[in-house]
Amino acid sequence: MNMKKATQLALGIVTGVGGFFDIGNLATSAQAGASFRLQLLWALALGTILVIFLIEMSGRFAAVSGKALPDAIREHFGFGFWLVPFLVLTLVHVLVLASEIGGICFALHLLTGLRPAVWALPVAILVWLFLWRSIFSTIENSTSLLGLLALGFVVAAVQHHPPSGELLAGMLPSLPHHDPAKYWLIAVSILGSVMAPYLFYFYSSGAVEDKWDSSYVGVNRGIAFLGMGFGSLIAFAAIVVAALVLAPRGIEVDDYHQAAMMLTDAFPFWGFILFAAIMAIACLGAGIEVSLSMAYTTAQTFGWNWGEDLNPREDARFCLVYTGAIFLSSLLILFGIDPLKLTLFTMAISAFVLPFVAIPFLLLMNDRKLLKEHANGWISNTVAAFLLVLSIVLAVVTIPLVFLGGS
Amino acid sequence: MKRLDLFRDVLDKQVTDREKTKMGRVDGLVLELREGQPPRVVSIEMGFVVLARRLHPRLADWFLRLRRRVHVRKQACYSVPWSRVLDVSPFCVQLDVEAAETPAFDWECWLRDHVIAHLPGVAK
Repeated sequence: MNMKKATQLALGIVTGVGGFFDIGNLATSAQAGASFRLQLLWALALGTILVIFLIEMSGRFAAVSGKALPDAIREHFGFGFWLVPFLVLTLVHVLVLASEIGGICFALHLLTGLRPAVWALPVAILVWLFLWRSIFSTIENSTSLLGLLALGFVVAAVQHHPPSGELLAGMLPSLPHHDPAKYWLIAVSILGSVMAPYLFYFYSSGAVEDKWDSSYVGVNRGIAFLGMGFGSLIAFAAIVVAALVLAPRGIEVDDYHQAAMMLTDAFPFWGFILFAAIMAIACLGAGIEVSLSMAYTTAQTFGWNWGEDLNPREDARFCLVYTGAIFLSSLLILFGIDPLKLTLFTMAISAFVLPFVAIPFLLLMNDRKLLKEHANGWISNTVAAFLLVLSIVLAVVTIPLVFLGGS
Repeated sequence: MKRLDLFRDVLDKQVTDREKTKMGRVDGLVLELREGQPPRVVSIEMGFVVLARRLHPRLADWFLRLRRRVHVRKQACYSVPWSRVLDVSPFCVQLDVEAAETPAFDWECWLRDHVIAHLPGVAK
């Protein structure tokens, strides 16, 4: 492996960690731990295995074919077929982006006491400036390095000495002792937050931006496994901390204020500030990725010029898509929608739309004309088939669960 | 003879200009039916209205009505004769045109001059 690839691998892993952990993981982990202690760890473990495969496939696809997913799906299945996933993906992008912006606003609220809605526009401008003024690699590296602050959760989890028996038991699915609808809704939301559609769509466009070719297949595998694995470790730690700090006190998370207490036992003086900082930075990094993902998807769907490394004068429409998306999303927060409720609703919707966005992608992974010897083998296809069935089950059960276990 | 599958290799593919600037996708294909001879591809079409027509004719009508109020794009459907096609590769259909001078780039240029240019921090 040459130096450039080694650097890419290292950076990719850091990006994975930084990009993986976002407001969706934070909210669902806090809720899961507070309400069901370690009993929902299995949902996170299952989601992590599946997202490792999804990311690996999406990166392999981009490296071998030289095409990002939206580009290839429209080309291979036609506009009529791609339209539904495209519209669904657009809706999810806006909702997730609003949740991330809401997360940053809430973190600032924790630090300053000003209402989250007050921060909506300043935060929108901040996210926009990152995209407007930076180039792709700067964005990737700066936000993901700061994202490592989230390892604070891992440190806290270790300090609390989680009971190993309960940890292991949580890794296996079990039936809840109370509130079954809420239990399953959180399980679904965890899966939706871990297998976030923007994650694997964004990743393929990123690989094209970084000009990967078939020689990156190995590097890609490393990034998918280690990046997503480490990222998930943080979400894992967040569940553990919520279970050991919030659950014993009977605190259920129906407001981010309660979640903010998670780190104060492990870090008495600055736990609160650390929580706010992690929340703000994780959401900023993810917000930037989601905005870019939305712009990539739209530009590729219509064949416009795209690329974060181009000057905005060269890809006006691409830049205006993320500009519009950021300001539209911030309006939801400006109008006072509760950021936590929005996040939990969005994660359920993310799970609901999985079949629409994942099925065309999984079909493409078997196109031997495009991927040649790098097309899916039997292991990837077994996982893909399982994912297909699971995503359909999720789509069917999610909406009833939102009403039954509703937040 | 090189074989080209219209549906798989041409329709919906990325279109670029001479300089490889991405300028749209092959939204439609037009064939000419000739007496006693096989049909021939005469042009490719690009534009939202072409896409709308693929979904539903009424959607295309609605689009055309909307266009009467917005005068950015010179033609709703940009039709390029097949003779201007330079190359069909696995990545794109390359045309012998200059993107910025075609209707496919009218919106891009308009937004660049009327919106992007007024935002702070854009190099002139």
